[in-house]
Amino acid sequence: MKYPSAFEVLTHSPGTMIGVTLVAVHVMVTLFAPVLIPFEETKIVGPVLSSPGSVENWLGTDNIGRDYLSRLLMGGRTSIFVAMVSITFAVLIASLVGISAAYVGGIYDDVVMRIVDTKLAIPGILFIALIVTGFGRSIPALTAAIALSYLPGAIRIIRSQALTIIPLGFVETAKLRGDSLPRIIWKELVPNCQEIIAVEFALRMSSSILTVSALSFLGLGISPPTPDWGLMIAEGVKNIHTHTWLILLPAAFISTLVIGLNLASDGLANALGLDAARGIN
Amino acid sequence: MQHEGLTEMLILELEGLTIGYRSVNREIVRVVDNVSFELEKGETLGIVGESGCGKSTLVRAIMGYLRPGGQILGGNVRFKGTSVLALKLRELQRLRGRQMAVVPQNPLSSLTYHMRVGDQIDEILQIHRGLNRHDARDETLNLFQATRLPEPAQIYRRFPHQLSGGQRQRVVISAALACQPSVMILDEPTTALDTTTEMQVLQLVKELSEEFDTAIVYITHDLTLTNYMCDSVLVMQNGKIVERGTALRVFKCPKEKYTQDLVAAIPRVDQPPRHKKSYVPEDGDALLEVKELSFAFRPAWSASTLFTKQEFSRAVDQVNFSVRRGETIGLVGESGSGKSTIANIVVGLLAPSLGTILLDGNPLSVLAKKRTFEQRRRVQMIFQDPLSSLNPRQRIETILTQPLRAFFGTSPRDARDQAAKLLEDMELPLRFLSQFPRQLSGGEQQRVAIARAFAAQPDLILCDEITSALDVSVQAHVLALLTTMQRKTGTACLFISHDLGVVREIAHRCVVLQEGCVVECGTTERVFTDSKHPYTCRLLAAASRQDGLRDQDKVLTN
Repeated sequence: MKYPSAFEVLTHSPGTMIGVTLVAVHVMVTLFAPVLIPFEETKIVGPVLSSPGSVENWLGTDNIGRDYLSRLLMGGRTSIFVAMVSITFAVLIASLVGISAAYVGGIYDDVVMRIVDTKLAIPGILFIALIVTGFGRSIPALTAAIALSYLPGAIRIIRSQALTIIPLGFVETAKLRGDSLPRIIWKELVPNCQEIIAVEFALRMSSSILTVSALSFLGLGISPPTPDWGLMIAEGVKNIHTHTWLILLPAAFISTLVIGLNLASDGLANALGLDAARGIN
Repeated sequence: MQHEGLTEMLILELEGLTIGYRSVNREIVRVVDNVSFELEKGETLGIVGESGCGKSTLVRAIMGYLRPGGQILGGNVRFKGTSVLALKLRELQRLRGRQMAVVPQNPLSSLTYHMRVGDQIDEILQIHRGLNRHDARDETLNLFQATRLPEPAQIYRRFPHQLSGGQRQRVVISAALACQPSVMILDEPTTALDTTTEMQVLQLVKELSEEFDTAIVYITHDLTLTNYMCDSVLVMQNGKIVERGTALRVFKCPKEKYTQDLVAAIPRVDQPPRHKKSYVPEDGDALLEVKELSFAFRPAWSASTLFTKQEFSRAVDQVNFSVRRGETIGLVGESGSGKSTIANIVVGLLAPSLGTILLDGNPLSVLAKKRTFEQRRRVQMIFQDPLSSLNPRQRIETILTQPLRAFFGTSPRDARDQAAKLLEDMELPLRFLSQFPRQLSGGEQQRVAIARAFAAQPDLILCDEITSALDVSVQAHVLALLTTMQRKTGTACLFISHDLGVVREIAHRCVVLQEGCVVECGTTERVFTDSKHPYTCRLLAAASRQDGLRDQDKVLTN
């Protein structure tokens, strides 16, 4: 008798399939946006706030006359890029720090965990806002700020997974064999934390996309004239009563992407047997 | 017993229950096949079978739970007349825990790591019985007392990882008893416990079941246990019931071949070993000498420990013994007697508080990382749980070649050849080289672990309860392979076990431990036939229960 493989579980859940499809569509649109868009996204091409449905500008124009469809399609690129890079850094560093802290223990573990606790006591958005205002509003600063803000939570989760593996016989055997610290971490611990690392990545991804959008909305994230969904919502607020779609469309793009990521990562966690991982954030 | 209200007497009823799992190639495999039985109030039913016979699936189905991929193909489960399989989740939840309780095999996985054990029982009492915090605490302490946990107030504050296996299982039994259920299902609850603890736990379960008229389903692979515990017995093989009858009849004169084999595979404490042991010269040089070894755990931290001086409880207290080349020393004692602690100290995972360890007359550094390469190679360890001692992400080939490459710097190709040779020695097929530990059965996993230990060509192997997780027939095979390898290589072995039958079967000499102290030490035959210490006598009496206690019990109750 065999259990279904992770892949089978993944493909047999309708929710997960919807999530994967949503993410896939978003990824395709984002990747091919530069060739899909009818106009350059930062160029003024028509009258201000023209209505959708015209032959030239399918979705009309924004408040300074740029093609709205082009901006919408391009609007995810920067925030997805920032989220990807920052989460990749956060999860990689967290894996290294979390696993080594769990294994080495002692003062190293204590120091790491107290720093983590301290960071967890500061609200995330506030922390990022502080860094961005301190170091200037730039993409690298934003990326670093988000990576830093997600690091402690990820360290915690990965460390706790490592703690459950360390007392097991195969780790003790490696210790008794005299394997070096990096070798034990790389060969014995990391492979057994793979699942949690993958799920951590997927879950944090959606939340960091929301964070980037929120920051852009607040004027702390991506700067104009680069198109960004969060920024577009902020720009659309002035005309909320007359041109509601200027807000609704980017909002829909953000939410479909986040919902898709959440469904997909839930499915991934389920398939990998990590139901507990669903609870985080 | 009077059968006035027949419907009320009947607690559990299974009618031709058949459960199937869909395998990868879409075929349905029948894991439980046409199983029927009835359980009356206060009755104890034993279900016996080896791993993979469908026992655990059956238990889950009784509780109204199926693993993903499972389906009921036919039959019914009725609890006090209501069909469990038709209940909604809500109603099931009300049933589980309060009316039906399960004591699982692995107590550690059923306790939450991050909560003090006392709080975990409190929670059950608060949710299911609606007690307030204060009453719940008192009741929990009562339960701990009833399950004979030493110093309940201390245990209450501990975390699961700070308890010994026996203590954990008692905590889990406390949890099961918390709501005074009308049926309690025990799924191999004492497999990991030593015989005296096991007897106490079983005695306790019996007493409590009589007190509350709790019906019991007792699942085990050990027929001697059902003989002690149960009124009637079902023997299962491949999901089917192959034999049923009263416990005594099935144990004493089994009719089916399968049952006969099961009974025969049980190592007996009350009979001399069936195989001749290898010869070890009486005056041989000591390979390993343990002198005045002591170890104390630090007490659990709490607010009160800040201000009062704490008694350090010694887990190991001035232990002396020696192991000669090629010899097998049995280290026996109840759980918590310090057996595993000694093994961990000898191998270098724990630093002793006091004492020295000599290997060939040279003192060993306390921790493995301070020992020389050679010293590490010469002492190898095999762990209790075979699955967790093999890295689930590595193929068997990697697992076996690692020590070869680390200790001898063998080239990958030679290492592969030697790994193949080791598999052959362990009577495992070569195709295992490319497989992962999870694809192997428990016995096969343990044989790989043994092969890995021998790969280092050690002088001494420490075996920490290596067969306690295995079925009796598998155990016999694993032990035979171990002793053959030992004979071939002249390796000495420190064999830690709570199973006295096994120790009698393979150890030349044995050391009996009680609460960290050596109470008796001598040749195995002498200790088993002419024990000097009352504690040893008590252990032996508990272990040979199958012919003593139970029969008298039976006569009295009938």
